[in-house]
Amino acid sequence: MNILIVEDESRIAKRVDRMTRDILGTSIESLAMVNTLHEGLAFIENNTLDLVLLDLNLNGEDGFDLLATAVSASFHTIIISANKEQVLTAFEYGVLDFVLKPFNRDRLEQALKRTTIKEEETLSSKTKLLAIKKRGRILLIPIENVLFIKGAGAYTELFLAGGTKELHDKSLEKLEQLLSPSFIRIHKSYLVKMSEVKQISVKTGSKYLAELKNGTTIPVGRTKYKDLKAKWL
Amino acid sequence: MLALRLSNYYFPDHVGRYEIDIDDYEDMFTDLLIETSYMHVFAGTFLIASIYFLFLFLNNKKDYPTLIFSACCFLICGLVLTVFSKDYIPIHYSLHVIRLQIINTFLLGISFLIPCYFSMQFPFAKRKLALILYAAILVSIWLINGHQFGLKTTSMVLSMLCFSFGVVGYGAYQNVRGARLVLVTLLLSVIVLFASGFVVSLYTGFGLILIGMLYLLTLNLKAQRLAYESSLVQSTRLRLELLKKNIQPHFLMNTLTSLMDWVEEAPKKGVLFIEALAKEFELFNQVEDKKLIPISQEIELCKSHLEIMSYRKEINYTWEDEGIDSEQTIPPAVLHTLLENGITHSLPLPDNSIKFKLIYESTSEYNCYTFLTFAVIAKQSSNIKEGTGLKYIKARLTESYNAEWKFISEPTTQGWKNTLKIYPKEK
Repeated sequence: MNILIVEDESRIAKRVDRMTRDILGTSIESLAMVNTLHEGLAFIENNTLDLVLLDLNLNGEDGFDLLATAVSASFHTIIISANKEQVLTAFEYGVLDFVLKPFNRDRLEQALKRTTIKEEETLSSKTKLLAIKKRGRILLIPIENVLFIKGAGAYTELFLAGGTKELHDKSLEKLEQLLSPSFIRIHKSYLVKMSEVKQISVKTGSKYLAELKNGTTIPVGRTKYKDLKAKWL
Repeated sequence: MLALRLSNYYFPDHVGRYEIDIDDYEDMFTDLLIETSYMHVFAGTFLIASIYFLFLFLNNKKDYPTLIFSACCFLICGLVLTVFSKDYIPIHYSLHVIRLQIINTFLLGISFLIPCYFSMQFPFAKRKLALILYAAILVSIWLINGHQFGLKTTSMVLSMLCFSFGVVGYGAYQNVRGARLVLVTLLLSVIVLFASGFVVSLYTGFGLILIGMLYLLTLNLKAQRLAYESSLVQSTRLRLELLKKNIQPHFLMNTLTSLMDWVEEAPKKGVLFIEALAKEFELFNQVEDKKLIPISQEIELCKSHLEIMSYRKEINYTWEDEGIDSEQTIPPAVLHTLLENGITHSLPLPDNSIKFKLIYESTSEYNCYTFLTFAVIAKQSSNIKEGTGLKYIKARLTESYNAEWKFISEPTTQGWKNTLKIYPKEK
């Protein structure tokens, strides 16, 4: 796991660093610390990361610019901040967790664990926006416009209500962590918003198809079908 | 058969007055007495008003409208007394001209002061020029026309009404507070002027106009009271803001996080940190309810804040001051706020240090504090709006020095520079 800590108070940065190493142990491949927004942005640009631990108030600037860039990237973001007012906005942007200062080891551990959880049953999603990079700019797409998401290698394709399609840098797994339970993984390559599904039909050869309200059909994985059926009945 | 002969033989330049009243002998006395007593009551109220408003002015020497109002009341009192003095003071017939001249002089004063008062309440462009011209017209009416006293009085009162109408009408057009009501009282006084005899209408008219003026004065008093109340609210707000400095989440929660860390990792250092924190809280407690504090206390506050921040940020902060005059005062936490901004927006120099320097200079014109930050200034990705810190500083300076201060905050090649000039009150 490649991790970056963005924090301008040296004492706190060291605390986060120490605890993260302690909690994640050998699963850490690299762990870097920077203390300004600009260094943070540059680091994100030039390195492959899995997780960023971000303080939103850096050198008097509010870190939402960095946050928009961060959440549009392929890695997960956990906010560590003193400002309770930012919690809602941060979750809307699609952060994995928001750790309020002052924090202890248990709270940080709980947040870090979220990066490894597969089935997000405990987490109800607060994400309202998906940030994507488009022609060098960050675009915020409201979740209600997203019908389903298709995995495309390391990236994902967001299929939107207007019939358009956008590319997102996060993997399907990471988006699933952010968007469940309103979105459900019905296939290894598909994440679908359940409220958009009209019906699921069985085709010949034990093939399952989900039909969306707009007529699109999406294959349903055989193993996923059981879960789906359980949820629908 | 009664024959009356009147002659101007001894005073050919004096104007003649040819009026004859025929009445019952007793009525002639009682009517005169009743009229005179009423008019003296009238004069008395104006005298009291004049004294009252003079005292008000003496307690607030900048409030010229109050002085003018007081003078108007006094002149009207004088006018009434002079006019009716003839009824009970045996004035030799040759001296009546002097009496009429005195009356006209009182009227001259009143006719000038009333529009002058209105033009102070409802300001307009080229006010001084207009008032000078108006004064010239009045004086020329007063000087020429010899002994045509009736004509002089009428001309002066009419000029006064015209000019007042102009000023108040303009005020009403501009929607100045109170102008409409004053316009109504002016109109009423004109109606009275046309509806009844000249002498009665003159005093009723003056009475009405003065009521209008009084109304404006009370409006001013109300405005002053509101301004005072809002300044109290503002002071309370600033005091709260000062108190909030130590409990705002960014400061408090980061401090507590660091503290947790020391408790877990290095309790002894944690104790030192708590001591530094206690010192700053103690200093804040001492200054929180003051509008101005000694500069030395403010410097203490800054130094203790630097100590806390050097623990938290593990940066080597240093403080220097130069030419400080410990007699001087400053609003609390003004430099402290600049220091906080300096800490927040700066990155340490290569040797992990940030230096702050305060320089004091005093000239005959102003006292100047220059507050320098020697550091790498953190790049700002977006335009920063005026932060609450700067707003606090500006509000505090205005509270203590009104507009007599200047504050400039600018980047330099070495870091940041804040210049605060305070112009002493006695200029």
